[in-house]
Amino acid sequence: MQSNQMQALSGKELEYIADSISNEDLLIKQLAATAGTTQNQTVQQICVQHIQSHSQHMNSLIQLLQQHQQYAPAQPQ
Amino acid sequence: MNAHNGTAFMADEDLLNTVLADLKRTVREYTTAATESNCQTVRRVFNDLTMDTLRLQGELYTRMSQMNMYTPPGKALRQDVDKQIQTAHQTQAKCQQFVQQKTGGAGAFNQAAGIPVHQPNVHNHNPYYM
Repeated sequence: MQSNQMQALSGKELEYIADSISNEDLLIKQLAATAGTTQNQTVQQICVQHIQSHSQHMNSLIQLLQQHQQYAPAQPQ
Repeated sequence: MNAHNGTAFMADEDLLNTVLADLKRTVREYTTAATESNCQTVRRVFNDLTMDTLRLQGELYTRMSQMNMYTPPGKALRQDVDKQIQTAHQTQAKCQQFVQQKTGGAGAFNQAAGIPVHQPNVHNHNPYYM
């Protein structure tokens, strides 16, 4: 069950966040490469818009890590 | 990274298809992460990211379709749809029977609103038919 209280991240949650950051990073790079290659203005526009959204996703994930940073134990429990 | 001879690194269609495929995979991973979250704050973030990535995937798909970069899937045949409806009604009836057996009728089994009860192709006019 989920808790309302801010708590330490589980190992699984940390892995999912790290994988998600990696996914967002890949999407941003793919979109940037497409935007830099295309001759089609519509495609370029779509890519730029999506890069902004994925950058926001990445920020949310980094913030999530930072919010939980202080609750992480120094030793395995 | 355009080559100087004007040949693109990859066609726009291929590049956007790669992004589209990665968006589909990312939505699945966000959904899994949300269902496996212990902390409600973490779950909420994964839930929001699922919804927003789903929106982005849908938007990209629509834009690609409009630019004829995506071939829409073929239409399912009427006979196949009819067969699936028949099978679904049988499954639903058996499920309903199971629920009634186990709950003694206490478990309400609602048929979805607006879906007509299956009409069999062969009509039985026997008034004693149950």
